[in-house]
Amino acid sequence: MELLDKLKILADAAKYDVSCSSSGSNKKNKKDGLGNSCYSGICHSWADDGRCISLLKILFTNHCIYDCTYCINRVSNAVPRATFTPDELVDITINFYKRNYIEGLFLSSAVLKNPNYTMELMLEAVRKLREQENFNGYIHLKAIPGADNYLIERAGKYVDRMSVNIEFPSERSLKLLAPQKERETIIRPMSFISSKIIEGIEDKRKYKKAFDFVPAGQTTQLIVGATPDNDANILRLSEALYKRFSLKRVYYSAYVPVSSHPNLPSISAPPLVREHRLYQADWLLRFYGFNAHELLNETHQNFDIDLDPKCDWALRNIHLFPVEVNYADYELLLRIPGVGVKSARRIIASRRFGSLDYADLNKLGVVLKRARYFITCKGRYYGGINMDVHSIKEQLLINAKNSRSLDSGEQVSLFSLYPDLLSTGDKLSSITGEL
Amino acid sequence: MLYYFYDGSFDGLLTAIYQAYYRGETPSRIVAAGDFQESLLAEKVYIRTETEQSQRVYVSIQTKISRQALRNVFYVYLSELPDAGTWIYEYLRLGWKIGKEFDRMLSDGRVLRVHKISQRVNGERHRMMGLIRFRCLEGNIYYAPISPQYNIVGLVIPHFLDRFPGQNWIIHDVNRKIGVFYNGETWSLGDMDLENEIELSNGEKLYQSLWKEYFKSIAIKDRVNPKLQKRNLPVRYWRFLIEKGQ
Ligand code: SF4
Repeated sequence: MELLDKLKILADAAKYDVSCSSSGSNKKNKKDGLGNSCYSGICHSWADDGRCISLLKILFTNHCIYDCTYCINRVSNAVPRATFTPDELVDITINFYKRNYIEGLFLSSAVLKNPNYTMELMLEAVRKLREQENFNGYIHLKAIPGADNYLIERAGKYVDRMSVNIEFPSERSLKLLAPQKERETIIRPMSFISSKIIEGIEDKRKYKKAFDFVPAGQTTQLIVGATPDNDANILRLSEALYKRFSLKRVYYSAYVPVSSHPNLPSISAPPLVREHRLYQADWLLRFYGFNAHELLNETHQNFDIDLDPKCDWALRNIHLFPVEVNYADYELLLRIPGVGVKSARRIIASRRFGSLDYADLNKLGVVLKRARYFITCKGRYYGGINMDVHSIKEQLLINAKNSRSLDSGEQVSLFSLYPDLLSTGDKLSSITGEL
Repeated sequence: MLYYFYDGSFDGLLTAIYQAYYRGETPSRIVAAGDFQESLLAEKVYIRTETEQSQRVYVSIQTKISRQALRNVFYVYLSELPDAGTWIYEYLRLGWKIGKEFDRMLSDGRVLRVHKISQRVNGERHRMMGLIRFRCLEGNIYYAPISPQYNIVGLVIPHFLDRFPGQNWIIHDVNRKIGVFYNGETWSLGDMDLENEIELSNGEKLYQSLWKEYFKSIAIKDRVNPKLQKRNLPVRYWRFLIEKGQ
C-alpha cells in the first residue's frame, strides 16, 4: 500500500481524539539534535473544522481485535485498514518536523494481534525517533490498555506525555460498549504511570542524571454522551483522577455517532454544549477551589445547558450572595460568577491602595455582565433588578443570548479547539473567559 | 510645526530622539524619510544617523527606564507603521520622566498605544513560529518564504536556531526582500532577492502531498467551520502554507 493511503486511513481514524495539546514540556535541544519543545505550545495550522493542528496525530494501526461498539475501528466494522512500519512513521515524523509542519507526534493505536505486540511496535517507533534520529520534539503516546508494565515503563523514558483513555465514567458502561476492555486494564497502567512519575521526580532530586519519566505528565480522555452516565458521575470521576493519579488533564470528547447499535443512543449530532459545560466545570475543580459535590449531586445531576456551571452553582446558593468585593477574601471572590483567577488576584492587589469603586471592577477584568447580580461594591447593589433567583436567571439568559448571537454560536466546544496553550493560573482567563 | 526625518533604520530613529533632546526641541512628528506625504507648513529637519548617539539612547532606555520598554520600542519600530517613530518618541519621553513604573499607566494613551502595537507584533512573531513552512531544496537547504505584516523575520531567529541547529535553512521575507541565512553554524540577516526559480529536492513533493493529505484527513467533517478557521488563521497567511496554497 502507498504511504499516502496509509497516512490517510490512519490520520482519519485518529482525529476523534480531542487532545492536541503539546505543552508542559520545556526541553532544550541537545547539541546536534533535532528540535526542542516550546513551553507555550505552538499551533502550526488550523484544520477545516477550526481546530489547532500542533502534533502529527495518528494511529499506528487501525486493525483491531476488539469490538468496542462506539468505535469506527471495531473489528466488526467494514473500513479500510492499514498499519505503519516503525520506520515509515519515523520518516514521516522527522520530515514533517524538519519542514516545521508540526511540534511533534501524538501516537495512538488500535490493538493489532494483542496489546503487547502493538505496544512493542509503538515503542520501537519512539525509540528510533529519540535514539537514532536524535529527535527532541514533543511526543505524546497513548498506552495500550492491557500491555505489560515493563513496556509502559520503557516507553515512558522516551516520551513527554503518556495517556490511557478511561473511555467511560462507569464500569457498567464500559461492559456495555467495550466488552473486551476491563476497567482494571485501564486503571492499572494509569496508576503505574503515576507512581513512575513520582519515582522519577525523586530520583531526579537525588542524582541529576536520572531519566525524566513522562515529564509533561499523564492525561486521559473520556467520551461524553454515548452512555446514560450523568454529569455528576463524570465530574466525580475526574475529581478522583486528579487526586489519585495527579493527572495533568482530563479531556472530554463529545460522542460522535459513528454507528447504530441498540446499546448506543441515537443522536444526530455530538453533544458539544455538554462537552463545553464539563470543561468549564473541570476548570472550576482545578483552579477555583470547587469540589465536584458542590457543583453536582444527587438532586442536581446534570449541568444546565443554558448556564455556565458557576452561574448555575451561584443561583442554587443565592444565600451566599451578594458578596462585598471590598471585603471578600480570595476564595470567596473566586466564587463570584464573572470573577476569574486573574481578576480576583487583581482585586486583592488593588484593594491595598484603597477601596474599589464599581467603575474600577471593569478595568480589573471582572465581567460585570455576570458579576453585577452577585456583588455589592461599597455596600451598594448594582444589579438593577430584584436579587432573587428568578430575576437573575432571566437576566443572565438574556445576556448570554445576546453575546451568542454576536458570535453565531461558535464558542461552543471552545475547549477542544484550543491546545493546552497556557497552563498556569495567570493566563487562564484568555482561554476560559472569566467564569 | 516641526518634523524630523530619519533614514528608516532603528539607529536613525534613536539618533533623532537624541537630537531632539540635545537641541532642546520637541518635534511634533518623527518619520522615516520615504514614509511621509509632503506638508508645506511644517519645518523639516533631516537627521543624519550617528551610531554613537543612537547607542547612548539605547543604553539610556535600558538603564533609566527598563528592558521591557526597550523591547516595546523595538517591536513598535518593527511594525513599520507610519506614525511608529512619533509614538515611540512620546512614549519614551514619558518613560524618562516617570521611570519604569510608567508601563503600568495603561490609561495614558501614549503608553497604551505602544503596548497594543508591541503586542500585535509579538503576536505575529509567535504565530509565524508555527506558520513558517520550509521546503527542502536541492543541496539540502530548507527554504521558507514568508510575507508577514510586520517586520518580524529577525525575531524568529532564536527559535529556529534552537529547533534546527544542524540544518541549513533560510527564511525569506519576500515583500521586504530580506532573509535570514543559517548554515548549521552561523547565521546572518541581510538583503535577499531570488532571481532564479528555486529547485525542490527529490523527496520534497512527496512530503508536501503527505502533509496536504494529513491536513485534509484530520478535520472532522461534521464540525467544518470556515469562519473559525479564518479567525485563527487569517487568509493573508495562506499564500505560503503548503496545505492552503496552490
Ligand atoms: S480497542 Fe480501541 S481501536 Fe479497538 S475497537 Fe476498541 S476503541 Fe476502537
